[in-house]
Amino acid sequence: MGSNAFAAPPLARSPALLPLALRPYAELVRMGFVDTLAYRLRYYTGIATYFIYVSVYYFIWKAIYEHGTSIEGFDFSQIMTYVAVGWIIRSLYFNNIDQDLATQVTEGTLVMNLIKPVNLQGALIATALGQSVFRLVMLTVPTTLLLFLVFPVRRPASLAHFAAFSVSVALSFFIVAALNFAVGTLAIRLLSILGLLRAKYFLLELLSGLLLPISFFPHGFQVALDFLPFQYISYVPLLIYLGKLSGGAAWRALGIQIFWVLALVALGHAMWQWSSRKITVQGG
Amino acid sequence: MAPLVEVRDLTKEFRSFKRREGVWGAVQNLFVREYVTVRAVDRVSFAIEAGEMVGYIGANGAGKSTTIKMLTGILMPTSGTVVAAGWVPYRDRRRYTRQIGVVFGQRTQLWWDIAVVESFKLLKEIYEISDADYRSRLGLFAEILNLGEYMHTPVRKLSLGERMRCDLAASLLHNPPLLFLDEPTIGLDVVAKERIREFLKEVNRSQRTTVLLTTHDLSDIEELSRRILIIDKGRILFDGDLAEMKKRLAQYNQVKFFLKDRSQIPRLAEVTTNGLGLERVDELTYLMRFDRAKHSSADVIRTLVNRLEIRDLFVEEEPIEEIVKRIYLSGEVA
Ligand SMILES: Nc1ncnc2c1ncn2[C@@H]1O[C@H](COP(=O)(O)OP(=O)(O)OP(=O)(O)O)[C@@H](O)[C@H]1O
Ligand SMILES: [Mg+2]
Repeated sequence: MGSNAFAAPPLARSPALLPLALRPYAELVRMGFVDTLAYRLRYYTGIATYFIYVSVYYFIWKAIYEHGTSIEGFDFSQIMTYVAVGWIIRSLYFNNIDQDLATQVTEGTLVMNLIKPVNLQGALIATALGQSVFRLVMLTVPTTLLLFLVFPVRRPASLAHFAAFSVSVALSFFIVAALNFAVGTLAIRLLSILGLLRAKYFLLELLSGLLLPISFFPHGFQVALDFLPFQYISYVPLLIYLGKLSGGAAWRALGIQIFWVLALVALGHAMWQWSSRKITVQGG
Repeated sequence: MAPLVEVRDLTKEFRSFKRREGVWGAVQNLFVREYVTVRAVDRVSFAIEAGEMVGYIGANGAGKSTTIKMLTGILMPTSGTVVAAGWVPYRDRRRYTRQIGVVFGQRTQLWWDIAVVESFKLLKEIYEISDADYRSRLGLFAEILNLGEYMHTPVRKLSLGERMRCDLAASLLHNPPLLFLDEPTIGLDVVAKERIREFLKEVNRSQRTTVLLTTHDLSDIEELSRRILIIDKGRILFDGDLAEMKKRLAQYNQVKFFLKDRSQIPRLAEVTTNGLGLERVDELTYLMRFDRAKHSSADVIRTLVNRLEIRDLFVEEEPIEEIVKRIYLSGEVA
């Protein structure tokens, strides 16, 4: 072993250029992608599940629209597009960071992340991003093709709307990821948060606008939701897709999304700092 | 020069709430929580110089893992200080972790579902290891630890010993000056243990890597470290040279002898008359223990061969297991 294998001093660090500092996280994106390959079978059932969800909503909305042409400014083809595209983008922004973190806390595997010179928040979000990229190929694309073939789904309002919509969905991913991390850190102090996570899951489906456009909610409720990040996950990108948000309003919506990403990342970071001194590792 | 690791009055207390049993207990648990405080590590102090290899031993629950978790920056101490490689582990965790390698024998740092080599590639990016270093170190580890065949297998398909070797390689890819190993040989067969010990010796020799390892296998300690720390109920009972410990704490020597045949068995009573203890190993094999201060080996052997027909005999020092067992049981260094 006397060779020069260890010749370079371990401390020789290049100046912390941004791209270099980001390389571990880029690698984690790749790991997330590769890791998900092991479970690719899951995605065939995923496609079926999403198809079934959208079918159920199709029949419900069809029944509701039998006697009117427009509700809260949505006609039938718009509401169907809202539902179908809503589920399509859910397949992209969805992630399990909260559950991952909770499991890591209860199983003690969090230790293995703590002994690495990486930012845990960044690492978990990067890995989730890799998984989302994987789902884009395995789940989002086939689901999109299937839904567009079977249901009367509209195309985006315009190319510009589609571009803004794409950016908006990317931001949705980061809102959900940052939110999930912040919620996940609660596991450190509370230890068992599975009940909490279930509640959060359903609340998010409702408040994000996935199940129902926010404009269908009671007025007071809508006003309250304006001050919360949830509608920026699903409702806002869908409005852009449908052309109900354009120009200045669309730019403003994207700006608010960016604000929520930053605010939730900061919240998660603060919660991590606050909790990590309370870490008690189980077992070992 | 300051020691590489300096620990002073390190203490960790865990507060956990006492769960009452039964249905009524569960209801009570909801409203009144009674906390119990466990002091897992109690005012521990020691220092480790660069290049040392130190064995950290103690009975189950003594506080070894808790100490390691504080030394690696995972747990925040309740009180006391740690300075290692120039950092305060808990406070400077992210910078500090560049200086250390860690293996928890019971866990893995490798990604469970994907090929081992993918985890290595990730570590390369995390620690900013150059291509040349990465290739040569990996090549070397693969050779010494015989990793070749496993590197392209997902971790979940590896046996414990194979996984442990990969984990060890992973912990050293960035050539850290400081290595913490919590039970690195747990559950391994003799050959695998031997391979890991050789590897650690080699890294320690050629890189002056400082190693702190816990184990329940005392032969690990005898092979690897000259210095041992014994911890019991959170407190350090002994810190010093292994040879020194044997000299100071070994209370007896023993003669192991084999009788010529069964006809000798009734005559065994004759040799125990002058206060010498006898322990049966099997029908024809016995151990005679004697206080080193009171009897010389020559006298004991003379007594034995004069009174019994003996086929063979060996004089042995008290095995380290016995010394340590005595310490664990009595909770003090006599
Ligand atoms: N997270 C925790 N919460 C409460 N008590 C804990 C926790 N972790 C450890 N302890 C307690 O602290 C004590 C020391 O545990 P530790 O894991 O350090 O022992 P150890 O020396 O590593 O033992 P072993 O040889 O069995 O691995 C034990 O009594 C254990 O029950
Ligand atoms: Mg332990």
